[in-house]
Amino acid sequence: MLHQEGALRSYFPASKITRNGENELVWVGELTPTPLSKSYRVKLHYKRGEFIRVFVVDEKLRLAEGKDKLPHVWSTPLQQLCLYYPPNNEWHPGRFYVHTLIPWASEWLFHYETWVATGEWHGGGIEHDQEQKVD
Amino acid sequence: MLSSDQNKQFHEILEELSKNLDITPAQYEAAVKSYQFVGDWLSRPESPLAPYAPEIEPQGSFLLGTMTRPIHEEDDLDVDLVCRLTGKRAGWTQYDVKKIVGDRLKQHDTLKRMLDKEGRRCWTLLHRDEARFHLDILPSIVSTGYKLLFEQKMFSDSIQDVEKLAIRITDTKISNYYTATDIVDWLKSNPFGYALWFKIRCQVERTKLMSLNEAIKPLPPQEQQKLPLQIIIQLLKRHRDIMFNGDEDKPISIIITTLAAKAYKQQTNVIEGLISVINTMQDYVEERIDDKRRRIKWIGNPVNPAENFADKWPDAPNKQANFYKWLGKVKADLGHLIIQRGPDIQLVMADVFGKRDVNKAFSNIAEAAFSQRRNGSMKMAGGTGIIGSLGRTVIAPHTNYGANE
Repeated sequence: MLHQEGALRSYFPASKITRNGENELVWVGELTPTPLSKSYRVKLHYKRGEFIRVFVVDEKLRLAEGKDKLPHVWSTPLQQLCLYYPPNNEWHPGRFYVHTLIPWASEWLFHYETWVATGEWHGGGIEHDQEQKVD
Repeated sequence: MLSSDQNKQFHEILEELSKNLDITPAQYEAAVKSYQFVGDWLSRPESPLAPYAPEIEPQGSFLLGTMTRPIHEEDDLDVDLVCRLTGKRAGWTQYDVKKIVGDRLKQHDTLKRMLDKEGRRCWTLLHRDEARFHLDILPSIVSTGYKLLFEQKMFSDSIQDVEKLAIRITDTKISNYYTATDIVDWLKSNPFGYALWFKIRCQVERTKLMSLNEAIKPLPPQEQQKLPLQIIIQLLKRHRDIMFNGDEDKPISIIITTLAAKAYKQQTNVIEGLISVINTMQDYVEERIDDKRRRIKWIGNPVNPAENFADKWPDAPNKQANFYKWLGKVKADLGHLIIQRGPDIQLVMADVFGKRDVNKAFSNIAEAAFSQRRNGSMKMAGGTGIIGSLGRTVIAPHTNYGANE
């Protein structure tokens, strides 16, 4: 966790990090996926023994016209993003957040912005009901 | 104020949008094939025009590279063409030339069926098939040696002697239409001189050495690297089309094109060029007193100072009012657009430039970003989290998942 904290601080000096030894780490930082994007406050929450979680916080994300759910999230009300597919082994706790979950969140926000305007998701991925191993 | 990164991103968005404003390759190919067929038909040995080596050449937006798709799929594209005859029989009047061209078209069954009622200066062939365009053919006479001059001029980057590119045309509303046999008494028009002027105005530093011949030959839109001014004009024309939606008194393309080209200052960035153009284009509308002692607006043809592109305004005040209404709205819309961020940029652009083509542009950009990440060349910057070709860490492969809740 010390290394994770060091990398987060190095990448995002303005972000807020709270750590409780090896048991828990919370990172809150701003991500702006493109120069013309809005800035979004993102919270990453690690707790020993639980899946790591990533949320967009402090604002209610708009939905595309005619949609009642966000794309590729665990939960629309919680705005908890779903950034990897567990069976593909894309994520494991030994990987740096700044190399994985955080860029994935920024990329999610980029595709989210186009989704709000067009109703189409171009960021790839799969839904729960079409489980399969993909590249 | 936009940062230079924001300017660059707007440029990329507008450039992508402009690709969606181009006519499709199928429309392009159908139009070229069709006018080449007409040229061939007019020049066959049995044609009475054969001795005068008729040639069909594109003019107008097809030649300038500023052709813009209609906002409604069912609307026709206008393809403006010149039918150039090198000389004519001594006794032929404007009426004779127009009629002989028309009669020759009518000798072909298909062309005869396509022919619309006679226009003031043109013959129009309507394509009613899926390609949806029509050809406006302007019969004209040039002098011997014109073709050589034309080729030379298109290689040059100077409009010196541009008046030598003028052609002589027929016009049913001119008093000597049935009588004048000497072409010096016919109306002059200079579409190729205008195209040369326009291409020179389009040039930015990095294209200074580009051959004008290369620039001026109409290429399939998808093969052409459009220059910023061409994109700016497409965007302005599309804005006009959305705003006026078929209103006959909308500002005409030649006025928008001429003022934009005069106002353009060789910006390489489209958003910077566009904002500068809309803020200064009205400075190129002059005021003059006409022969009825009225104060009138004057938008001079750059290759024929005696011609006013706004000549219809004095008798159709609505046209003049619409031009200024349009210019005011372009400024307001773009001023509003550049302060938006995130999805609101896309939503405002959809209102201003049309939802279909704007959504397509943003979808293309998003898909390109997705495939860039998949091939391992998408990065994320520290500090901001901006994703792009530059950044501190390559974005690792991953698969967005979803509980769908």
